[in-house]
Amino acid sequence: MNSYYAANLLVYAGVDIIALLALNLQFGVSGIVNFSFIVFQAVGAYAAAILSMPPDYAQGYDFQVYVGGYQLPFPIPWLGGAVAGGLLAIPVGLVVLRKLRSDYQAIALLVLSIITNEVITNARPFLNGAAGLALVPPPFSDVIDPNTETYQYFYVAMTAICVVLVFVVVNRIVNSPYGRSLRAMRERELAAMAIGKNPVQLKMTVFIVGGVIAGLSGAILVGFIQLWAPSVWLYPETIILFAAIIVGGRGNNVGAILGALLVPVGFEEVTRFIPSSFGPPGLIPALQWVAIGLLIIGFLWFRPEGVRPEPRHVFEGAPVREDLEDARAT
Amino acid sequence: MLAQPEVAVAANRPLLVADDIHRHFEGLHAVDGVSIDVPPGQITGLIGPNGAGKSTFLAVLAGTLPATGGTIVFDGVDITRQSAFRRARRGIVRTFQLPSEFARLTVLENLLVAAPDNRGDSLVGALLGKRYWIEDERRHTRVARELLARFGMSAKESDYAGNMSGGQKRLIEIMRALMLKPRLLLLDEPMSGVHPKIVLEIQRYLQDLRAEGLTILMVEHELHMVERLCDSVVVMAQGKVIGSGTMASLRRQREIVDAYLVG
Repeated sequence: MNSYYAANLLVYAGVDIIALLALNLQFGVSGIVNFSFIVFQAVGAYAAAILSMPPDYAQGYDFQVYVGGYQLPFPIPWLGGAVAGGLLAIPVGLVVLRKLRSDYQAIALLVLSIITNEVITNARPFLNGAAGLALVPPPFSDVIDPNTETYQYFYVAMTAICVVLVFVVVNRIVNSPYGRSLRAMRERELAAMAIGKNPVQLKMTVFIVGGVIAGLSGAILVGFIQLWAPSVWLYPETIILFAAIIVGGRGNNVGAILGALLVPVGFEEVTRFIPSSFGPPGLIPALQWVAIGLLIIGFLWFRPEGVRPEPRHVFEGAPVREDLEDARAT
Repeated sequence: MLAQPEVAVAANRPLLVADDIHRHFEGLHAVDGVSIDVPPGQITGLIGPNGAGKSTFLAVLAGTLPATGGTIVFDGVDITRQSAFRRARRGIVRTFQLPSEFARLTVLENLLVAAPDNRGDSLVGALLGKRYWIEDERRHTRVARELLARFGMSAKESDYAGNMSGGQKRLIEIMRALMLKPRLLLLDEPMSGVHPKIVLEIQRYLQDLRAEGLTILMVEHELHMVERLCDSVVVMAQGKVIGSGTMASLRRQREIVDAYLVG
């Protein structure tokens, strides 16, 4: 296996893990069916791109048109990507999460995902339309040559640091009393209100935190692949991420990581090796979608809790089974 | 025994005053101009035939259903326009007629989640880590375990609430409400589906709570229970109040007996 391929795989895995930790916080823990998740990754990627690229009249970049072009050094593009994801979550959350019932929220978010993609595709002067942005400078590319093996592993290391950071953040949220309030809201919103929880505030917060993390994942990805176009963030990408959460285990952060490795990384890598001469053209990609669909249905049918189910919280000093049997005996 | 509370009513300002409350569902007048005063430190019963609007009225008081008309004043503050979670934070806590446990939370977690002052129950608190909030958590865990012990559910604390029986779910809900340290407890048929032994335990506990000064308004169908437990009783039928007073005085009123007590 060549090292470029390995680095590529590892960065994708890291990006998918980060994204899925965010989606797990929103969907698995809090019950928000965010069918526009990929848009938040995309906005982070676009933000990071225009923060790190030179203006579109600069030499070598004048074949594309886009707003901004600030040529800012690392880590500003990554931070900017994260901020952009969070900022987008505010208006979207305010419109979608306040009044609508949760099933309608899901529909509204799905439609939003489609509309956003169409608008970016067709409004060329904004972010270069369907062709997308190319030649996005990777972080530190003025210091280190990005085409070396060293740089590839350097990028893997930076991604890994972000994975650890995001894992710590979401773990602290999920395993805290705050995370418990989120799960209570997911289970029964009306009863959560009756014990003093403000569901709109809880949902908005989680939506924004998830947006920040999704934006960061986009920024990391665009720095590595150096291009970003509407075709890479079509709404079905969100479905793949949902499949990963369902396979990995809703509400379990380790499950989200497992889901990332099994579905977007593992599944797509395995099907890559099927010879493309097999069957009529376009058969393999189409079958991939069929397989993703079957995967979701299969898990929901046979193992709805996923590979790693949500952990049951047992508290310090809880009676264990032996104690109970002793108590019964005496 | 029954005369004492009436003296207390005269002496104290009502904790909650509901004035001309209406709740209409597209032409159906579920609650049609109900006015009641809930005196502090007493258990007030709310009885009436099925469909009388008792549960709807309770939901309107708790804010889980908005009123279509009328005003609600709690402890001198107009809360008519306040949302349910704000009313809960003020101390008006309701339980539901149907089980409303958080199924995928353990029994203990169902109680802990209701505890109001936990430093870890905010985004920032959570991010600061376990050391920042563990003391609050331990304190609440002690209180919750005392409640669990009292209602004989200690052994179940680590089980998912969704796997409990109907009666146990009802207990979980009452305990959860108590974790909030309410000032006004609205109970919607708290005893239905509960084992008679536990019913006695709930009864004793409610009486203790009253002795500590908690005000309770409860919907209940079991009239013997109402007679034993409630200081005063409000009778509703077809969305209206048709009578109020002590159970003994109500039994003497012909039309109420006709409407509900026997029919």
